[in-house]
Formats: sequence, structure tokens, C-alpha cells
Amino acid sequence: MSDNHRGIEGLPPAMTRLAHELARLPGIGEKTATRLALVLLSWPRERVIELAESLLEMKERVGLCASCFGLSDCATCAVCANSGRDHGIICVVETPADLLAIERSRSFTGAYHVLHGALAPAQGIGPDDLKIGPLIARIEGRPAGSVREVIIATNATIEGDATALYLAKALKPLEVKTTRLARGLPTGSDLEYSDVATVSAALSYRREL
Amino acid sequence: MAAEERAAAIVLRASDYGEADRIVSALTREHGKLGGIARGLRKSRGRFERRLEPFSHVMLCFRRRPHGELVFITRAESAGLEVYEPGDDLAKFALGAYMLELSSALIREGSDAAGAYDLLAGALGELCRRGASNALRQAFELKLLRWAGYGLDFSCCRRCAVGAGEHDLRFAFVVAEGGLLCERCRRASSTGAQALAPISLGQLQRLTILPIDAACAEPAALADAGGAINRFIAYTLERKLRSLAFLEAMLPASVRAQS
Repeated sequence: MSDNHRGIEGLPPAMTRLAHELARLPGIGEKTATRLALVLLSWPRERVIELAESLLEMKERVGLCASCFGLSDCATCAVCANSGRDHGIICVVETPADLLAIERSRSFTGAYHVLHGALAPAQGIGPDDLKIGPLIARIEGRPAGSVREVIIATNATIEGDATALYLAKALKPLEVKTTRLARGLPTGSDLEYSDVATVSAALSYRREL
Repeated sequence: MAAEERAAAIVLRASDYGEADRIVSALTREHGKLGGIARGLRKSRGRFERRLEPFSHVMLCFRRRPHGELVFITRAESAGLEVYEPGDDLAKFALGAYMLELSSALIREGSDAAGAYDLLAGALGELCRRGASNALRQAFELKLLRWAGYGLDFSCCRRCAVGAGEHDLRFAFVVAEGGLLCERCRRASSTGAQALAPISLGQLQRLTILPIDAACAEPAALADAGGAINRFIAYTLERKLRSLAFLEAMLPASVRAQS
């Protein structure tokens, strides 16, 4: 048994196992995992079964939408299936978490496309490892002019910028308007306390009033 | 608690860890290659004025841990250091990522790497100012290999020392020899031999000697030389660099030949 799986003294092996599994989750250390295991032990059996079943159900049912590659429990996700949304505007994000962040803003009513990453050559992630091909096929598969705009909402990092640049280049032959999310001062922030890169980006991306 | 140390650093690799932490590998002038964990980096813009991502050039503040390999990165400040932003051009980005990966592969933690830091800083600066070229790529490769103890000599045959260009002899780069062999010395069975045109030999010699900024203004050696260096790096590291395929797609041969 490796050091990581050595039993915690005073904790039965079944609880140690659960604590180790919980500690695999992001942001959960060994102490928190042990605390969570103790909480779960105190729960009524029915509630624990409900939790276990919901975990299994999620794993068995949730996959990727065939169109946008967002998370979905059927072939087409709720956003793609919603005829009330503007499918002529596609917002391209790196991860499903980014899609949720934009949805939370309630300021976008178009469709999405999830790349599942960004270009990171040193980690061996190239264009073929991202859902760039399916995005192009998705636009090409629609009647000409029906996709009016692609908003590239990759992260404001060097890898996100390079991915945006690659996408813009790949989309150019399709003659679709391509835009990039603005960057600059966060809402409610003080200019005085902003870092150099943010102020510099805010100046570069200033807009006319 | 260990005292806080400070060093100018170039981030070579970074990966998210947990909810808001990031594990970073960075090259510093004073302490060589360092691995560290930046707790709460993705939530704190106060302590981390600069994001720690590949290409970040920062003043890194850190504390060593008594028994841990990773240092605790406490702050990252801009401190007026040159900013490398190759994300505005795909060839720049590809070559920059390749430079970072090659540095990461050739520099070991704990080794004195002041020379490698100066070389990488200079090369990234030239890359961002002038753009990507194969002359820059080849000069960087040759200089970093030299720094790592694999100085490649393109001036003469490694066996008989006859000078390149003498007696109208043809020369080939033999990976296992780590240098040139003239046609008389080269056995037909030599594996990994790459014939080099005289113009490439001359250019490789110049790129090896010239400082990185001057090397950028030179024409690159031809594709044969690029292939020879590629093979030597793969032989030395016992693997291909992951960023190589993307680099070769973004910096095509025609551009290489012209540059």
C-alpha cells in the first residue's frame, strides 16, 4: 500500500478509502476530506444512497452535445434545442465552465461552441485536439449567411489569444464576422489599484462614447 | 519559516491545481530552474500582479519549504521586466512555446542556469520584437545545446579534422557522433546521417558564434541543417518535443528558406 493510501489511525478502512477518494477533488485536502467523510457517516442511509445514485446518474447520462460540445444529457443540449435563442451568433469558449459563466451573466442569447481547451503546444495540445474542425463543419453545414457572427471568448491568456488568432484565421474563408471579447477594467474596480497589464489592455480596447 | 527570496523568472510551464492554485516551473537567473506552487493565484490579483502562465516574465517572491521540492510562490510582480507577448502572431507563439519546452527539457533543477536564463530572455525579446524566423530558432537551439554541454561543431570533420569546405569534400551531420563527418570518414552504415550543403555549414557556424540579436538578422541555414538539429535534439532527449509539430506547421519551410 502506498503512503497515500495508508490508513488514518483511528479511522476505519472504509472511511479512509472514502476520504482518499474525496481528497482527489479539486480544493479538497486530506483534512477536509476526512471531515466530509465524517459528515457523510452522520447522514441517514437514504440520503447517502441519493448522493451515490446522483453521482452514478451524472456519470452515466451526461455527455457532450453533438452540435456545440457543451454538457448535455441528450444528443442536443438545451441551448442548441432552444429555438428562442439566436443561432446566428456563436460564442466560442474554452470549457463548459466558461459557457456557464457567460450564461450566468444573462447577457447572451446566442448559441455556443466549446473547444475543450486552448492551444498549448508544449503540452502537446494542437488544433486537432480542440473542437475547431467541428466548429468549421457546423458553420459550413448551415445555409450561407445564417451564421452572422462568431464571438471568440477564449481566456485572456497568451494561449487563449493564440487560440483566438488561430480560429480567426480558420474562419476567414467562411466570411463570417469574427469578434473577440473585450478586455480591460473589471466592473466596480478602482483604476488606482489595477495592474499594469489590465490598464494597458483597457487603453488598447477603449471605445468611443 | 524560511526567509522570502526574490528572483527574476521566466515561466516555462504552468498547470492549474485544485480550485485556485497553480503549479509553475520557472527559470530564474540566480536559482536556476524552480518548481513552485502559487496558492490562490487564480483568485488573487493583489499578490499576483502578473498571471503566472508560460512566457510570464516576473519578479518571483518565494519561500523554500524544508522538505518539499516545490517552493511556495508568495507574490509575482512586474518590476519593470520586459514583457513577452507572442500571442499576437501564431508563428511567434509556436516558436516561443518551442523555446520554453526545449529550455525546460535541457535545464535541470538545481543547476546554475544564469547563461540559459540570459539566452532565453534575449531570444524571447528578439522573438517578440522581430517575429519568428528560422535563423532565431536555429541560433537558439545551437546556443542552448552549447550551454547544456552539447556544443556542436560545424567547422571540421570530427574524425580527421579536415576543415569543412576543404578538398571539395561533402560533409554530413552524424547524430551519434554529435558533429560532422567528411565523406571519407563517414561509414556507409552510419545511422542518422544528414548531408549538409556547404551553404548550411557556413551559416550554422555563423549562427553558433554570433550573439542572438545579430543571429536574427542572418539568413537561416537551409532545411537540411534544421533536420540535423532536430534529429540531434530528439536523440539527446530520447523523445520528440511536443511543440515541434505545431511549430513546423506555423513556420513553414518556404519561410524558413527565405529567412
